[in-house]
Amino acid sequence: MTQAYLEFHGVTKRFGDLDVVAQPFDIAVARNEFVVFLGPSGCGKTTLMRMIGGLDTPSGGEISLEGTPVGGPDHRRGMVFQSYSSFPWLTVAENVLFGMRYRKDLTEREKLARRDHYLDLVGLYEFSNAYPNKVSGGMRQRVAIARTLAAGSDVMLMDEPFGALDAQRREKLQVELRAIQRRDAKTIVFVTHDVEEAVFLADRVIVFSKRPARIMADIDITERLGAERPLDLRDTPEFFQLRTAVLRLLREAAGDEAGDEK
Amino acid sequence: MTQEVAGRVVTGRVVTTRRAVNRNQPSIWAFRGALSRRAQIGIGVGTSVALLLIWEAVARSGLVNTTFLPSPTTVLGALLTMIQKQSLLWHAGVSTLRVWIAFTLAAVMAIPIGIMMSSYRVVGAALEPIIDFIRYLPVPALVPLSIIWFGVGENTKLYLLWLGTFFQLVLLVADDMRRVPQEYIEIAHTLGANTRQTLRDVAFRAMLPGLVDNLRITLGWCWTYLIIAEIVAADSGIGFVIWTARRYMKTPEVMAGVVVIGVIGLVTDQLLRALHRRAFRYL
Repeated sequence: MTQAYLEFHGVTKRFGDLDVVAQPFDIAVARNEFVVFLGPSGCGKTTLMRMIGGLDTPSGGEISLEGTPVGGPDHRRGMVFQSYSSFPWLTVAENVLFGMRYRKDLTEREKLARRDHYLDLVGLYEFSNAYPNKVSGGMRQRVAIARTLAAGSDVMLMDEPFGALDAQRREKLQVELRAIQRRDAKTIVFVTHDVEEAVFLADRVIVFSKRPARIMADIDITERLGAERPLDLRDTPEFFQLRTAVLRLLREAAGDEAGDEK
Repeated sequence: MTQEVAGRVVTGRVVTTRRAVNRNQPSIWAFRGALSRRAQIGIGVGTSVALLLIWEAVARSGLVNTTFLPSPTTVLGALLTMIQKQSLLWHAGVSTLRVWIAFTLAAVMAIPIGIMMSSYRVVGAALEPIIDFIRYLPVPALVPLSIIWFGVGENTKLYLLWLGTFFQLVLLVADDMRRVPQEYIEIAHTLGANTRQTLRDVAFRAMLPGLVDNLRITLGWCWTYLIIAEIVAADSGIGFVIWTARRYMKTPEVMAGVVVIGVIGLVTDQLLRALHRRAFRYL
């Protein structure tokens, strides 16, 4: 955690008269770290993540990747959204291949090989020729993950990607995502308002206050739970205690009306 | 009756051990219920035939003056005679050609302009008030002006058709583009696509099903304006045929002309729908 890979240097953001952040942000993310931005809905965590992707620009300060300031979006910082995450007019395999469409440094053969590799990795090889509307919501999110990985992104930015899934699918995908991240060594910035999801997935959870956002806590999860996250980790007292502690923090962060945050 | 049938379905579901009658066959009156494609076609044909039979019966019964309401068989007879003696099919061809020329012209202009209007706020801001204004002008009101401008030749007709379609279509296209989810655009950008590539490979593809649907609908409107144009100034086309027949009170011929338009419209619409289903299987 010593070498800073992705860095926020005094980043501020305003939409008109509205301050998204309460104070300039300094965050340093290490290479291959899984960081979760946790906070109440509308607190500005998504905006901060979008700025990493180049989809929003900071009003002040700078975000840098490996020491170079990030500009507009490119394939090194891939995005996975909650909905509309895959293109309905392309098959599963075509969607994954589309991730490399604008990469000139890969040959056609390399692209096909990568496509198959990542389809296999997310367990979708047998659904290659299906259109997204014929597969489950969980599979559509896996398509998006495979596409982003195939595109060759170093940082994967995920905006509540499992928010629309039912509980079982969500748990399954969380386990898979964590495994993929460990195996493929990817830096992931993941936005959610789900405490359990945050604690289960993250190496590190950053808790934001409600708007204007302030960092309430920066919790090292790996130090407490270890890097391996099997499904039954959820049933351990350690997980439960940590989850409760973070939940309490989030309640504080959200102010009084936090009862409905899960 | 509806209630009774619905009631039976409910009981059938609760008492599962009883005979399986009706369980898999919900009432056709189930609120927002499903109906097989075959049943839909059957019912559609059925009501049309029934209507024709009623019409035939009324016309033959002498209850109405057949000068005003000739029977369907009389209209059909007139139709066949017109095909043989008045080259009705040629007129129909002329009308169809006019519609397609004007429509293609309108579409070719409306698609890029509509896309630009939604892609760049400044284009939208500049054009929307003008287009909205012209869109509300009824085409017939512009007939005198277009005759002053273009005379009574082919250009007037095409201009009127174009006028009636372009301004409607351009707003529909702009709307189709606006409805493309922002997520698609941003995914393309984060995959390294530039603006042109994003438009071509993602935004256009995403809007295409809606666009084709809107083209189909506007093509129908185009036929409305065609008849207006051909009534005002023409010596060919279905509108001309209808208007000439009207002058001599040949009601069967007037109706035959209307039927031809209806048939062309129906066939075109069904063809475009079939095309839509084939092209957009993924929907």
